[in-house]
Amino acid sequence: MTDFTRRKMLGVAAGTMASVVGSAGLPETAAADDAADLALFVNVSAALTGIAGAKLAPTVDPIQIKHAYFQQAKSDPGFEPLMQIVRANSADPAAAADKIMNGPDPNIKFLGRSIILAWYLGVWYEPAVLAQPSPPVAVPPLKVISPAAYTQGWTWRVAQAHPMGYSELRFGYWSDEPLPLNDFVNA
Amino acid sequence: MRNRHLLAITAAGALSVVALAWSACAQAPGPTDARDINPPVANCNVISDTTEDPSDQTKRVATPIDQKLLTSGQPCHQEVRGTGLVSDVLGNLQRGFDFYSWLTFIALNSPADGKTIGQGERPGGDAMTRWEALGNYRPLADVMLDKGAKPTWGTRVVPDRCKPMDGPGKIILKLGEAAWNQPFKTGPLIDQNGNYALFDILMNKPMFDFIEQNGLYSKQGQERFDKDIIFPPGTRPGPQNNPQGKMGAVMVKVSWRILDPDKDKALIGKFHTADALIYFPGPPVPPGTKTGPACVEKTLGLIGFHVGHKTAASPQWVWSSFEHVSNAPDAKQVADKDLHPPYSFYNPACTQCSSNHTPPDPWDPPESLKFHSDDRSQVVRTKMLPDEVAAEVAELNRGFRALLKGTVWENYALLATQWPSKADSKTDCNGAPAPTFLANTTLETYSQGVVPLASSSCMACHGNATTQRVPATASDFTFILEKAQCENGICGPPRAAKEPAQRKCGFTVTP
Repeated sequence: MTDFTRRKMLGVAAGTMASVVGSAGLPETAAADDAADLALFVNVSAALTGIAGAKLAPTVDPIQIKHAYFQQAKSDPGFEPLMQIVRANSADPAAAADKIMNGPDPNIKFLGRSIILAWYLGVWYEPAVLAQPSPPVAVPPLKVISPAAYTQGWTWRVAQAHPMGYSELRFGYWSDEPLPLNDFVNA
Repeated sequence: MRNRHLLAITAAGALSVVALAWSACAQAPGPTDARDINPPVANCNVISDTTEDPSDQTKRVATPIDQKLLTSGQPCHQEVRGTGLVSDVLGNLQRGFDFYSWLTFIALNSPADGKTIGQGERPGGDAMTRWEALGNYRPLADVMLDKGAKPTWGTRVVPDRCKPMDGPGKIILKLGEAAWNQPFKTGPLIDQNGNYALFDILMNKPMFDFIEQNGLYSKQGQERFDKDIIFPPGTRPGPQNNPQGKMGAVMVKVSWRILDPDKDKALIGKFHTADALIYFPGPPVPPGTKTGPACVEKTLGLIGFHVGHKTAASPQWVWSSFEHVSNAPDAKQVADKDLHPPYSFYNPACTQCSSNHTPPDPWDPPESLKFHSDDRSQVVRTKMLPDEVAAEVAELNRGFRALLKGTVWENYALLATQWPSKADSKTDCNGAPAPTFLANTTLETYSQGVVPLASSSCMACHGNATTQRVPATASDFTFILEKAQCENGICGPPRAAKEPAQRKCGFTVTP
């Protein structure tokens, strides 16, 4: 069972956010992505992250962050082999996730890890860097995928918090106890 | 001289009667308490952007954009649905809101005398609009009065300096800083003739009445008001105790450019214009101006038009943004050299000009309203809408601008409508605005873009608005309450205010 304490999540987030913001983050268009592959990507992302697909990519979703993560993952050489697994297990995303994370191909495994980190942190870690047995620095090189990704990381929600410098809560909220976890992750 | 003055007063009085008569017609109160701040409205517009396909009840077809829409009235509430012309729920809802925005634009910009839009007496069928008539809307400067005085609905406040120039049909624009400086004090906007663009904010009667009846027009009044600020919402006509619907609070923010009646004669037929008396209150600064007191007369052309409307299903309000099509090119047009000058805020010949930069200090306008240097705003519209939204809005604009062809109003276009896609969210008090970003090139020139917090988003910005209480409390998505002054000019120490009852979001939403 993953331990989502506020301190742990905030600590991880603080480390990852001290970096460079990535590409301009213009609104991505659905037309640019293959709709079927995108849907499969969301399904396997749900299995990888433990967050329901309807939460990762709601029906009414003005931000559409899934496109940014899909495009980022697509740029990795491991993407096509990963998607072959996903397509072959389209009816069972959990099985696909298991094969990705526990399979023999490190390119696929560490791309799976990068995808998990993208959804939680809004940040891209190169799979090849994650694959190194001993990272050369304490905080591996990373990029914030887009300005929108900075605010959309699930780490903030599971920490019952908000990104540094960006809050959608009401004026004065800081003097109150955080809302229940359920309000954040099931909202 | 005396006779002329009397004639002017008589004419102004007649105009007021006409304006009030329209108000009574448009928002005919039902059998309710006279103090009802949000009375029933007789003619809420309930037309939606699509209708059932007569040949296939499982499908919907676009509502025709035809003459009928020109007299269909103002929507009291959006009529939107997730099903429609495309398979995407978000896209169908967005189109519904954008259609609502155009209906609102037409209703508010129809002549104050009750005529149909585009059938006024002035060039291009122009006329004093409904939102410019005192019976319908009131400028912010006439609500948040000096020394926190109580405002009165319908009375025209004419500064002494302006009285010699006053006459029927003239609007009065008081130059607080917000009338020339953009949000977050990012600077003035200077047109290609070197004139300042000017801004004004107005509100309808339900919004005014909420402020007036709760004493929110003064700083101390806000301190005395120990409840959450919740402006009345618009509601659609329905069978349950609300057969007519209610309009709810509406704010209008407009931007103007100065037009020279002689030099700009060819342009005047392309803009909605107003004869304005610009009042410089003089020091202290703020809320006054460095120069003045003084009053100057100008012809103004409408360049930007914002409407914020609180509705039952959108407690974060619905935000519509229009602008004149000749304000500035967009970034793609500049890149493609697909330019259509003249623009009010872009010079195609100035290839070395950096775009969307703030002008150099000092910013305070002199009485001439001419900028002190040769610096001119070189404005380019930044891409911030998703492609699908941009295409949908462009299609609606083609339809409505064709409907308004031959009038000044064909020169205005919707940028988009921002609305809460998850109005009842407990953790996003802004209700997940859709689209995420929206900026008008004349009203948010320097905050266009797609960077959260830094770039313009109507709801994300207005969600931070507060009262002047200590500690401050949320003011229901309006910065208007920040303009309230101290009673009798004496501020004194803040009264110890009771803690607000509710700081959490999770608005009650009526579908």
